Amino acid sequence: MSLKNILENYSYYRRDAEMGGHHEYEHRFGMAIDLDICTGCNACSTACYAENNLAVVGKERFEAGQAMHWMRIERYWDEIEGDYPEQGAKLIPMLCQQCGAATCEPVCPVAATYHTPDGLNAQVYNRCIGSRYCSNNCPFRVRYFNFWSYYEDSWPEPLHMQLNPDLSVRDKGVMEKCTFCVQRIRNAKDDAAREERPLKDGDFTTACAQACPTDAIVFGDTMDPDSKVSKLWAKHQIHRGPVTAKKDKNDEEIRGYRVFDELNVDPSIMYLERVRDTEV
Amino acid sequence: MNVKVNRRKFLKMLGWGGAGTALAGCDMPTTVTLEEGKEEVVSYLMPEEYVVPGIGVWYASTCTQCEAGCGLHGRVREGRVLKLEGNPDSPINHGKTCMMGQAGLQAHYNPDRITAPMMRKGGSLQAVSWDDAMAELAKRIGPSSGVDGKRVGMITGTISGHQSVLVNDFLGQLGSKNHYVHEVINSSVWRSVCRDMLGDETPKLNFDKARVVLSFGADFMGTWGSSPVHNMGEYAKFRKGDERGTLIQIEPKMTMTGANADLWMPVTPGTEGALALGVANFIIDRGWNLVDVPARVRATLKQYDLDTVQKVTGVNVEKIERIASLLSERSPSMILAGAPVEGQENGYDSVAAIMLLNLIMGNVGNTIDATAKFAEASMRPKQGGTKDLLLLAKALNNKKLDVLISYNTNPVFTAPDVLQLQAGLANVGFKVAFSMFPDETTLSADLVLPIRSNTEDWGTHVAAYQPDGAVMGFQQPLMEPLHKETRGFGDIMLSLLKLRSKDYAKFEDYYAFLQTSLLNMPSSIVASTGSKEETWNSILQTGLVKTKGITQALKPKLVDMRYKPSRANSEYPMQLIPSTSLGLWDGRHANLPWIQEAPDTISKVVWGSWAEIHPKKAAELGVKNGDYVQITSASGTIETQVYVYKGIHPDAIAVPVGQGHDEYGRYAKGRGVNSLKILNPLMEKRTGELATHATRVKVANAHRKEPLVKMGSSEVQVGRKFVRTISSSVLRRTEKEA
Amino acid sequence: MIKIVTLKQLVSMSLLALAVLLLPATSFAELPVPSHITPPVGEHDGEDVPQPIDFPHNRHVKDMKINCMYCHTYARRSKVAGIPPTSKCMGCHKMIATDKPRIQKLTEYWEKGESPRWKKVHDVPDYVHFTHEKHIRKFVFDADFPVEDVQQVCALCHGEVREMTVAEKEKPLNMGFCQRCHQANGGPGDCWACHK
Repeated sequence: MSLKNILENYSYYRRDAEMGGHHEYEHRFGMAIDLDICTGCNACSTACYAENNLAVVGKERFEAGQAMHWMRIERYWDEIEGDYPEQGAKLIPMLCQQCGAATCEPVCPVAATYHTPDGLNAQVYNRCIGSRYCSNNCPFRVRYFNFWSYYEDSWPEPLHMQLNPDLSVRDKGVMEKCTFCVQRIRNAKDDAAREERPLKDGDFTTACAQACPTDAIVFGDTMDPDSKVSKLWAKHQIHRGPVTAKKDKNDEEIRGYRVFDELNVDPSIMYLERVRDTEV
Repeated sequence: MNVKVNRRKFLKMLGWGGAGTALAGCDMPTTVTLEEGKEEVVSYLMPEEYVVPGIGVWYASTCTQCEAGCGLHGRVREGRVLKLEGNPDSPINHGKTCMMGQAGLQAHYNPDRITAPMMRKGGSLQAVSWDDAMAELAKRIGPSSGVDGKRVGMITGTISGHQSVLVNDFLGQLGSKNHYVHEVINSSVWRSVCRDMLGDETPKLNFDKARVVLSFGADFMGTWGSSPVHNMGEYAKFRKGDERGTLIQIEPKMTMTGANADLWMPVTPGTEGALALGVANFIIDRGWNLVDVPARVRATLKQYDLDTVQKVTGVNVEKIERIASLLSERSPSMILAGAPVEGQENGYDSVAAIMLLNLIMGNVGNTIDATAKFAEASMRPKQGGTKDLLLLAKALNNKKLDVLISYNTNPVFTAPDVLQLQAGLANVGFKVAFSMFPDETTLSADLVLPIRSNTEDWGTHVAAYQPDGAVMGFQQPLMEPLHKETRGFGDIMLSLLKLRSKDYAKFEDYYAFLQTSLLNMPSSIVASTGSKEETWNSILQTGLVKTKGITQALKPKLVDMRYKPSRANSEYPMQLIPSTSLGLWDGRHANLPWIQEAPDTISKVVWGSWAEIHPKKAAELGVKNGDYVQITSASGTIETQVYVYKGIHPDAIAVPVGQGHDEYGRYAKGRGVNSLKILNPLMEKRTGELATHATRVKVANAHRKEPLVKMGSSEVQVGRKFVRTISSSVLRRTEKEA
Repeated sequence: MIKIVTLKQLVSMSLLALAVLLLPATSFAELPVPSHITPPVGEHDGEDVPQPIDFPHNRHVKDMKINCMYCHTYARRSKVAGIPPTSKCMGCHKMIATDKPRIQKLTEYWEKGESPRWKKVHDVPDYVHFTHEKHIRKFVFDADFPVEDVQQVCALCHGEVREMTVAEKEKPLNMGFCQRCHQANGGPGDCWACHK
């Protein structure tokens, strides 16, 4: 990154995040997760285990915080005075937000994590040396480190036959996290290229979105104005880039938000506020 | 597709020769680098044209992880199934799956599967050949065995479709009427009330039409009613309608469904009927009811004035009035009753009281409607309950059975200790288990027949709850059998049937039986379009047989309201709730690592048991998360760690069912406690079902502790806004315009 | 006595000499590199990998002139080019050369309902996503390159297969090998395009 380079390409590097920042994006995959219909059933989490060769770590390692659940359902109780949680529990599926301005990317000493032209935060297992700086920096705590060679005991024969050959089984010392099922994205792009047509909304989806019984998770390309997810983002007035513009005056009533938006990391996942009938 | 190369032969021709070969030679994930000659590649023998290595092929089937009958699509690459998804054509799950459906793969590839027949010799089970196993069967129950059919019994889980036909025929051949159908998770009492008060055991629940759902402990998105996947889809429609529906959940302990409620509240366990009658009384008093009730019913209801109900249930007067007003203001409603109500000694009467609300609010024919029934009665599901478990225990203890065959059930695990089931089994001379896994019941058997998994076998399934038409789920193998010495359940049953009847000789195997039967179904049941070949291909491709069901309109009928509240017990001051949840179910999925590692929705505990109590109770006992408590009923004691939270009635203690296996493989064995064991032998008065939620216990601090292994550390958001909430009244104003 | 060589003779003698010099080269000449491709750079001295059947590529490719993709048919459809199913071999060898020992060995497999367990020679590590389909599409179909000459494209990574019996690895297939060709020919440089 020479001074000459910066000066020559200044306007390119200083593009707004909404224009793609200093990346040339072909797609910008994102999600809209409706917390009102997320029931907390864990179907998404289990589908992710199945699709992505996630290791089951067992009780001791789970206790040590070494579980590998790329997608987890967090459950919070309201801090209430009363005797009972009358509004139920607060459930939220938490996964890698594929931040546009990811805090994990700049800190990797070997650039094993970077932003792809698809708008995803990539993790290259081969390059990773296991410094764990990235997981330290992640405000959502969605990065998982392989403290052990899980392949030694997580898949006793013939469980290993279930492993998905479209992606690696990670070894000790490597960081991993949700990839928005990039293997499916790759396959879908190959299929689209074979049929000589552009990728369109609905060609493929992530394992979690496919499993979700309530369709709470909507996955798609936020750069494609016709995709379901783009329409949802537009409806709830969420846009790429830092939170700068105020929403219009009815904004309390539009349900979309992004977690930790005050950090300006530009997550690719928009959550829709859970709705509670408070008149009941 | 050329039908001459039938499905069976086609799979053989994939040339997938055995466990090791399909993974392109490497038998474990390796980090092999660029070396030549290290990995193997075994090509296909003669693949179908659409099989391309590297590109997955999808086949349709039906899930059997619970009784719901959801349709599946399995992704198969290089002859092994890698991922299960829902079948979009199935009217039950519309292309979606739950975590149990996903984990079906781990049941299939489980390292603890039984891979060869076993026979008890000298006290222990030893591997034998199939020839020896079948010879033993012929010797003990074959035509020349002299077995007395009346002393032969078979215990299964819920069974339907052609499997049910074979079981019926088999028992019929022997002259046995002893088919025990057992499921711990059941809605038997609800079904009885529906049958008596609506004329239909499994009415259709139109969540999308309801503006309010009032659920008395019915965990309809979890273990109650029908397919959790279906119900979750319905729940989404319920929330997303023009008028967002409101969910009120009244139960002693918060379930997954309860966690999603707009209003959650507990009542004194066993008093739900009183609350329902109190609400009904109030409604009728105000004239808000849409359907009239006869004077005698009004008279009965008069006892349940607001103050009485408050005293009995612990719910205050304002709330009772509020619930009544809601049902009236936001009509139509839907009122459900689930396990905590059904599982009391007064279960039927309580559920009847709750059903009364549906009748008087005009929900029948609206939010509660008729479903289509499968026209061929012999294939309709025989649904399990706990009554048959009690009958079996009695038969065993009275030495009434010489032969007991078990399939798809684990009564040794689910039976409370008082029933002395394991001891009773010793009175049965010959016990046969059709089983995949070394579970407690299987290991008590004298002859173990290892069966194929859902993923490697044929079958048909008729779900009890048919939301759209009457559909039969078709199950087909997604790959070649993993273990050569396992056989399909249908194939084994057919062999047994052939011993006594030539009628079955013409069927080479279960596949042939299914094909013949399905292609010859009368047109009154299956509207056949096109040739037999086309019909068969359509069944294979869609995984469904769509039939013309029989629908009869609901006939609402009042029954006498005979509800009486259960009495508390001072020696055993707390109510034990053996709660069930999506995931472990009734313990059958404890051997699946994904299920064990999936944190429970409410407590987030993994790989173990826990007992949920209210902070008030915890303070009394002096316990915190992770401390052990002793839970004692009149029938036994268990000890487990505590999880303290407010989503439970202070007089209740909930110990989830599913752990506490003594056997069942490396993932399940020796883990946690089984709360079913200490249930008292109480029965629901009218149906004879085991009153699972009626056991009272005393709880003591066991003075030892360990960290409670759960996901996540903070129970509260501490002011951070991960999960934001908006009030629906605000929403109603705006989203409609958007 | 000096033999006087005419210019014509000199030229023809030089030509002859040149031909003699060049002859060995042309008879073992490498396949021409298609003009639209900048070939990948790198060589590898492959081991001899014995296979269950000593399959002669030279017989099939050079003598019979069978197109690579006739057998390795999945190359244009999938990630893997694929070892042909045994049925493809038997398609010809049910009748052709049935007296030869290698064919008899093959027929033995077929009759037992088994496929030979071939050893992979051209293999990339499990963490690499390499798809033949895209490469064939770019360099053959999209470039309007005649399919009959596809072996020129295959040879860029697989070497001179037509000279071999069983396959031998002649190119390193390491990341640098792929990367250089990608850079030269406009292939993706994104890590996640290939690392899975």
